[in-house]
Amino acid sequence: MSAPSAPSAPSAETVVAPVEPGERLGKWSGKSVPRTEDRRLLKGQGEFTDDVWMHRQGYAHFARSPHGHAKILSIDTSRALSLDGVHAVLTGEEAKEMCEVPFFQIAPEPAGRLEEWPLAVDKVRYHGDAVAVVLAESRDVARDAAELVEVEYEPLPVVVDTVAAADPDAPLLHDEAGTNVAWHGVFDYGDIDWALENADHVVKIDRLHFHRFSSTPLECNAAVVNWDPGTGVVDVKSNNQMPMFASMVIGPTLGVASNKLQFASQDIGGAFGNKIGSYPQIAALALLSRKAGRPAKWTEYRQEHMLTAGHGNERTFLDIEVPVLKDGTILGFKVRAFDDAGAYLHYEPLGAVIWSQVTPGCYRLKHIQVDYTETLTNKCPTIPNRGYSRLQHLWLIERIVDTVARELDFDPVEVRKQNYVQPDDYPYETPSGCVYDSGDLPRSLEVALELIDVKGWRARQRELGTGSGKRIGIGIGSTLDSGTNNFGQARIINPDLPFSGNGEAAYVKLDLYGEINVDIGTTPQGQGHETTAGQVVADVLGVEPSAVNVSAGFDQRHNTYVAFSGTYASQFAVTGLGAVLGGAEMLRREIVTLAAFALEADEDEIEVEGGACHVRGDPERAIPFIGIANLAFSNNAVLTPELRERISLNCRYVYTPPFTVPDPETKTGELTLTYASQIHAAAVEIDEETGRLEILDYVAVDDCGRVINPQIVEGQVQGAAALGIGAALYEAFEYDADGLLQQSSFYDYHALTALDMPMMKYADIESPSPFTPNGAKGMGEGGGAPLSTLCSAIQDALGDGDALVADSHNPWFRIHELLGGGADGAPRAVRVESR
Amino acid sequence: MLLASVDYTRPATVPEALEALASREGAAPLAGGQSLVNVLKNRVASVELLVDISRLEELRSIEASEGSLEIGACVTYDEIDRSPEIRAGHEIVSRVASHIEDQQIRNRGTIGGNCCLSDPTNNLPPLLIALGATMNIQSGSGLRQVAADEFFRGYFLTAVEPGEILRSISIPALGEGAGAGYSTLSVASDSKAIVRAAALVRGNGTIDEARVALAVVGPVPIRHSGMEEALRGGAATADAAREAAEAIGEDLEPIADAHGSTEYRRQMARVVARRAVDEAIARGGENG
Ligand SMILES: Cc1cc2nc3c(=O)[nH]c(=O)nc-3n(C[C@H](O)[C@H](O)[C@H](O)COP(=O)(O)OP(=O)(O)OC[C@H]3O[C@@H](n4cnc5c(N)ncnc54)[C@H](O)[C@@H]3O)c2cc1C
Repeated sequence: MSAPSAPSAPSAETVVAPVEPGERLGKWSGKSVPRTEDRRLLKGQGEFTDDVWMHRQGYAHFARSPHGHAKILSIDTSRALSLDGVHAVLTGEEAKEMCEVPFFQIAPEPAGRLEEWPLAVDKVRYHGDAVAVVLAESRDVARDAAELVEVEYEPLPVVVDTVAAADPDAPLLHDEAGTNVAWHGVFDYGDIDWALENADHVVKIDRLHFHRFSSTPLECNAAVVNWDPGTGVVDVKSNNQMPMFASMVIGPTLGVASNKLQFASQDIGGAFGNKIGSYPQIAALALLSRKAGRPAKWTEYRQEHMLTAGHGNERTFLDIEVPVLKDGTILGFKVRAFDDAGAYLHYEPLGAVIWSQVTPGCYRLKHIQVDYTETLTNKCPTIPNRGYSRLQHLWLIERIVDTVARELDFDPVEVRKQNYVQPDDYPYETPSGCVYDSGDLPRSLEVALELIDVKGWRARQRELGTGSGKRIGIGIGSTLDSGTNNFGQARIINPDLPFSGNGEAAYVKLDLYGEINVDIGTTPQGQGHETTAGQVVADVLGVEPSAVNVSAGFDQRHNTYVAFSGTYASQFAVTGLGAVLGGAEMLRREIVTLAAFALEADEDEIEVEGGACHVRGDPERAIPFIGIANLAFSNNAVLTPELRERISLNCRYVYTPPFTVPDPETKTGELTLTYASQIHAAAVEIDEETGRLEILDYVAVDDCGRVINPQIVEGQVQGAAALGIGAALYEAFEYDADGLLQQSSFYDYHALTALDMPMMKYADIESPSPFTPNGAKGMGEGGGAPLSTLCSAIQDALGDGDALVADSHNPWFRIHELLGGGADGAPRAVRVESR
Repeated sequence: MLLASVDYTRPATVPEALEALASREGAAPLAGGQSLVNVLKNRVASVELLVDISRLEELRSIEASEGSLEIGACVTYDEIDRSPEIRAGHEIVSRVASHIEDQQIRNRGTIGGNCCLSDPTNNLPPLLIALGATMNIQSGSGLRQVAADEFFRGYFLTAVEPGEILRSISIPALGEGAGAGYSTLSVASDSKAIVRAAALVRGNGTIDEARVALAVVGPVPIRHSGMEEALRGGAATADAAREAAEAIGEDLEPIADAHGSTEYRRQMARVVARRAVDEAIARGGENG
C-alpha cells in the first residue's frame, strides 16, 4: 500500500480534504521556527554528494578543450591508459556509439536537429567542452591521466557575440542545424504601431546589454553513478536539482528506462538553477561506469565549474522604442532582443518564453512587441540562473522607466507609482494573458523609500554639489518573481511538445508507533523544506513541528514524485507545501475516521490535538496516534472490512495548479501562478576620480503573499540581494576574441563576500495569493532587483550628463567612463521624438 | 595528483636550508605557501623539492633600533600587523599588512614570500620601494644587500638567485617630518588590485625628498621619477601633489585586462599616486 504507483492508493480527487485548504494553518505556519536542517549542517553532519562512497568506486576527471572552437582531428588515450591506477578512458566517439539517441531537444527545427552527446564528438564548441573522461583509483591519478589524453585540434573561427552569431555568415556551431539561431519569434501584444503613432513622445534607446554571470554555488556539481551490470539499474547520487528533467533527457540517450534510472540526493550546497545543468556529465559518468564496470565518482573543480557548469543568460536589446503620453503614462515598448545561449541548448530555448511571464514588468503597459532571437555562440552553455530569463527583461523595463523619467523630466518615483499595476487592479491580466494574483506595489515603494530616508539622501545629494569629488545617487528597482510555472509555455517555443501544467507530490503517513513521516518530491538546496513542511503538517495534525519527521533530501526509490519534481523556479511554497498540505489533510481524515471508530463517536465530534484524538467536550474519551497506528498496522482484525480496505495511513497527494494550455499562436496564457514582488531602493556614493561605488543605504521590500517562515524568507531575500549586488558591480563572465573565458577563477571573478554587502534593511508586505492553497507565493529567486536598483542609482548620480547606463555590469572603469560622458566618440544612445 | 608529486624537507638552520636548495635544480623555498602551493596545484610551475623555511627562527625575528626595522623574511602578515615595534615606527607597514586578503592568508603569508613571488598585484612590494627598504639576501657564501628598487625583476622574478634566500628586509627610520602613504584601487573588498601606489615624503613645509612607487601598471612595481622630481623642492600641499601627479602620463603603458584598460589604469595611477602623497604629507605633518 505504500508504493506510489499502487493502484489502490487513494486519488486526490476522491479523497480531497473537506476543509478549505489552508484553513488550519496558523499556529506554526507564519512563525520563524528554527530550521531543522541547521543542526546537522552546522555540525558537519550533512551528507553532500562528495560524502557519498560506493563500493569499488573510481574517480572521474574530464579532459576539456583549451579552444573556443576547434575540429578534433584525433584523440590518443594510450598515455593516459598506461598510467598506474587508471581504470578506463571514454572518448566522445565511443560514448556516442554506446548511446541510443542524442539528448532530446526542446527547440523546434532547424535548431531542434542539433545533436548533443554526453561528450563532444568531432569538434569542440567552447572553452572547456569535454572531449573525454577518465576513471582512476584516485582523484589525483584521474586528473593526471586526463592531462595525458592527447587531442589534436584544428582551431576554427569563433563567434562570441549573440547579434553577430545570428548573421548567416557567422561561423556555424552545429552543422546539422545549419544555423546558429536557436529560436526566433515575435511576441506582439496590443498594438505597438498604434501606440507609437499616437503617443506624445517616443523615447528611443539604441542598445542595452545584460551581462553573463552565475550564482557560483558553494558546492560545485558532483555525482556518483553506478551502472549495475547485474540488475541494469543505474544509480545516480548527485546534486542535480531537477532530477526528473535530467532523467527524461538522459534516459532515452542511455537507453535506460526511467524505472531503472534512480536519482537521489541528500544535502545540496546551493544550486540557484545552475545545477539543472549537470545531466550531460551524469550521462557521461553512467557510460564510463558501464564501460569500467565500477561506480564513477566526480566532484567538479571550481575552475571547471566556472568554465563549464552553466552561466546565466546574456541578452542584448536593440532599437528600443517607448511610446509615452504627456501625463507620464507609458504605453508599452518595442524591442529586438538577442539572447546568447552558448554552445549547446541546455534547458534552452525555454528562456525565450520564460521572460514573458512578466511581459509588462510591474507596470500597466499594454502595447508590447518583442522580436526575440536566441543564438548559439562559442561560450559556455547557459542554464537557468536565479531570476532566470525574467531578470534580464525586468532590468530592460526598469532601464526604460528610468530613461523615460529622465528624458521627459518626470519624477522617477511618481512615474513608477503612476504606471504600476494598482492594488485594486488585481487579479490583473497582462497583455500575454498572465494573471498577476495580488500585491501592493505603490505601498511597497513608499515603505522602501521611507526606510532609506530618501528625502534625507536627496538633501545630501544637493548639498554635496560639484567640487566635492563625490556624487550621491538614489536608485529604485521594481521586479517580480513569477513562480509555479505552467510547463505548457514550452509549446509557445515548440507546439509539438506534449507538456503542460505543473505539480508536486508528497507522502504523509503515520509510522508503526504513530510517528509522523513526510516525503516530498523536492530536492532542497538550503531552502529549509524540512522546516516549513514540518510547520504545515504540525498545524494540520495538531502536533509540534519537532514531532514531524521530514525525510532529508530525495531518493527516487522511496520518495514520491511527478515529472515536475525538484527544486527550481520559485515554487516550493506553493507546489511543495501544497502537496504536503493535501497529504496532511488526507491523513487527518483517516486518523479521524479511525478515532471515530475506536471512540464510538461521529467523525465531526473528533478533535485532533497534541498527537491524539478526543471527543469534543470529553477529553477522557481519547485515543493517541499510537493507538490509531496500532489499529491500521498491527491490529486490523478489529476493524470493519470497509475500514481495512480504505484506510492506509499512507497518504499520497499530488498538488496541481489550476492551469490550462497556453496558446502558441497568440503566445498567451497563464504562464505562472503567483507573482511575488521585490521593491528595492538604494543610495550610493560614487568617487568621481575612480568610479568606485559604495552603497550607503539599501532596502528590500518583499511581498510573497502569506509567509510560512519569516526568517527563511528574509534569508532568501538577503541571498538574492547579495547575488544581484555582486552581479551588478563585480561578477562577469567575459570571453576574448578567441573564445577564451577571462574570468575562470575567483581571482578574476570576484564573487561578492560579506565584506561587500551593505547592512541591508528589510520589510515585508503580505498580499496573500488567492490562487494558492496557503496564500503563499514562490519567492526564492527574486527578480534581480539589485541590478535594476544599482543601475538606476548610477544613472541618478550622473545627473544631467549625456551618458546612459546601458550595461547591467558596472565595474569601476565603466562607471568612470559614464562620469566622463560615456565611451569616447560614441553617439548619444537616447533620443526623444515629441509631437 | 592535485599537487604533482614533490619532495619536502624542513631544515633546522639557514645554512642547512641553503644546502638543501643547492642540492637540486628544482628546489624552492616554501614560506607561507599561500601562493606557491596554489601555483603548484594549478601546475603552472614545477618544483621537485620544497625546502620549508617557514619555521626557521633566524628568519622570524623583528628588530627595531632607533626607528629602523629589520623584519625576518618569514614573519607573517598577522605578526607584522600585531607587532608593537612595527606599529610604533612604521604604522603604515602594519596597516598595509593587515589588509592583505583575509585572516587565513594573513596567518600564514610572509613578508619574504610576498616579495619573492613578485606578483605585480601584491601589497607589500610598492610600499617597501617607497620606504627605501633594503633586501638582505643570503647565500652559502655570504649576505648581500639589494635595494628594494632593484629587487623586482619581472613577473615572478626577483634578484634572489637559485640557491639563495631572502633573509630579512631592512627598513630605514622615517625620520622627523617624514610621512608615508599608501593607496589602492581594487575590484571589491579583499580582492584583486587594479592599481596601487605608495609614497614617502620628507621635509618641513617644503618637500626635500619624495619617493613614489606604482604597482599593477606593469610586470614589477616602479618608482615614478617624473612625479618625484615634480614634488621635490615644492610645497608640501595637496595642490602640489595634484600637479605633480600630472607627470604620470604616456610614459606609463599599464597592462589591460577585464578590470581596466591601459588608459583607465594610467589615469588611476595618477589618482592613487596623488592620494598616497597626500597621505604622506598629512602624516609627515603629524610627525614634525
Ligand atoms: C586567495 C588569495 C588571495 C591573495 N590576494 C593577495 C593580495 O591581494 N595581495 C597580496 O599581496 N597577496 C595576496 N595573496 C598572496 C599572499 O600574500 C601570499 O602569501 C604571498 O604572495 C606569498 O607569500 P608566502 O609566504 O605565502 O610565500 P610562498 O607561497 O611560500 O612562496 C612564494 C614564492 O616566494 C618564494 N619564497 C618565499 N619565501 C622566500 C624567501 N625567504 N627567499 C626566497 N624565496 C622565497 C617561494 O619559493 C615562492 O616562489 C593572495 C593569496 C591567496 C591564496
